[in-house]
Amino acid sequence: MLAATLLVGAVRLPLEAALTDELRGAGLLAAPLAVGTREKLGQTSATVALGGLRTLVATFLNLRAFTFFTEARWDDVADTFDTIVELAPQTIYYWETGASHQAYNASAYYLNDSDLPPLRRDAAWRAAVLKGRAFLERGIRNNPGNPKLNAYLGYLLIDHNKFRAFRDPDATFLAAAQAYQTAADAPDSLPFLRRFQLYAMARVAGQQAEALALARQLYQDQGNRTPTLRCVYFALEMGAYPMLFDPESLAIGLFGSAEKAYATLSNYWLRANDRLPVHGVAEAISALEVQLGIAAEKSVFLLHPVQDAEDE
Amino acid sequence: MSETPVSPTRSASGSHAGRISVIATHTFTQLVRMKVFYFLAVFAVITIGSNFFDLPQHAGPEAAGTNILNSIKSWSVGTMTLFSVVFAIVATALLLPKDVEDRTLYTILAKPVPRLDYLAGKLLGVILLVFVSLALMDGLMTAVLQIRCSMILSAQMELAHSRGWSAAEIASLRNDIVSQGPNVSLQAAVFVVFLRASIMASLALLVSTFSTSTLFTSIISFMIYFIGHFQADARGVFLEAGAGWVTRAIALLVALVLPDFHLFNEFDAVIQGQVFPLMLLGEITGIGLFYAVFYVIASWFIVAEKEF
Repeated sequence: MLAATLLVGAVRLPLEAALTDELRGAGLLAAPLAVGTREKLGQTSATVALGGLRTLVATFLNLRAFTFFTEARWDDVADTFDTIVELAPQTIYYWETGASHQAYNASAYYLNDSDLPPLRRDAAWRAAVLKGRAFLERGIRNNPGNPKLNAYLGYLLIDHNKFRAFRDPDATFLAAAQAYQTAADAPDSLPFLRRFQLYAMARVAGQQAEALALARQLYQDQGNRTPTLRCVYFALEMGAYPMLFDPESLAIGLFGSAEKAYATLSNYWLRANDRLPVHGVAEAISALEVQLGIAAEKSVFLLHPVQDAEDE
Repeated sequence: MSETPVSPTRSASGSHAGRISVIATHTFTQLVRMKVFYFLAVFAVITIGSNFFDLPQHAGPEAAGTNILNSIKSWSVGTMTLFSVVFAIVATALLLPKDVEDRTLYTILAKPVPRLDYLAGKLLGVILLVFVSLALMDGLMTAVLQIRCSMILSAQMELAHSRGWSAAEIASLRNDIVSQGPNVSLQAAVFVVFLRASIMASLALLVSTFSTSTLFTSIISFMIYFIGHFQADARGVFLEAGAGWVTRAIALLVALVLPDFHLFNEFDAVIQGQVFPLMLLGEITGIGLFYAVFYVIASWFIVAEKEF
């Protein structure tokens, strides 16, 4: 009997190895758990996870991570999410949530609520934002081309409350544009992703010509003519051909009327923190204020920039 | 119209399929009378309860609230795996000792019933129980998933329309949500859970042929179940150069003797949205059938020589 078992085992061994490779190639089987992860899970959970219930253990750990989150135990949150994504690397929600906890929740906590001295708060805030970004990029490496993760990375990188943490604005916006491009190139992707690729690209020094070409292409589609896209298109045209266009005429042409042009460009002007291109915007607003008879004390130039405007 | 008379001789001995079918039906009835289906109440609580694990934490801008669907699938399929394996092992471990204790075994074997038919019938009875249990659990999971998926879809569609999304955007959102709901890949994954439980039942049958008690059979079977999930690791150790020869020899022994249960873990990927190709399902079914048939034949070899 033992001989028969060994003989049959010898026959099925290469077959099973080949099938395992095939299933891993199809993304249906995960790679074996790393020893470090098994240690983190503990004996019971590791046994359950190895018993074919990885996603169930990941769900349990997600509940535990939520408790850590409510107690502002950010290192524990990060550790738990490291283990969760090891167990369920294809669940995009875990990558997004783990990154969000660091880049948004932990960073905001360090900036506003921690007991750290003021000088160290900024460093802790920056470290948390970078940790969130690194986690998200790890998620993208594990799920190459995933549109949701790429879109979320782009969203993080062009967030005006966060990009200060990344030091080099051009490299950051370029990375955001590439992330949005990957997301937009995916089949069945939502049209706004291409617009966001443009908004990121328009902020990169040296990419204005490519951004203008994309803006012109997007503008052809009526569905893309959102206020932000019209403004970015306007600024890019004015930046590329300042002598060719009259700012006021171009604005009225793009927005349909002087009133609409003034209202939209004013809002755009106040979004200074977004670092979007503003070539010709001030000139157009000044001319429109004269044309519309807006009093000097009500000029948009006297208002403070808004902090939380959203792209469209 | 007159009925064709059945030969008394043929009726008494019957065909292999007929005998196996009678024993399987009897075994199924015997197990059902043990009130095993009460577990469905527990499963219902878990499946419905998993609806409430929608944590108020981050949901990305495009998450569309589908994470709760993953949670329902994860809890439900996890519970199905546990219940099916426990049923398969414990029910099979009970069979032979109970038949010996009740003296049913002697009555059956005193008749012209080949021992292979007896074993196959018993095993099929357990497998039928596991199948019915999984079908009921699958039905409940699918219903809960469908209802929740429809709720999310309806809420998200309303939101998308209120935001003035284009038809393409709405179609993309709909596809995203529907892909997380009940689908063919999920049913294929549940079928693989059934295959694994069937292998465990046949393996427990083999253990029970030389075991002295139900408890021993159960413990050994559960140990094999868990060690079987390391089989791929053992194979990897054997195939990769670098390990010592003693380690490689032990790894080879584990890889040759134990089944590879890691091959039946596709549902983790399916829960996360992966598509299960039918070709691969066919290959896994082939491996599953191979294991089940091999363990039944091995059991027959042992029982054929055994004195009761």
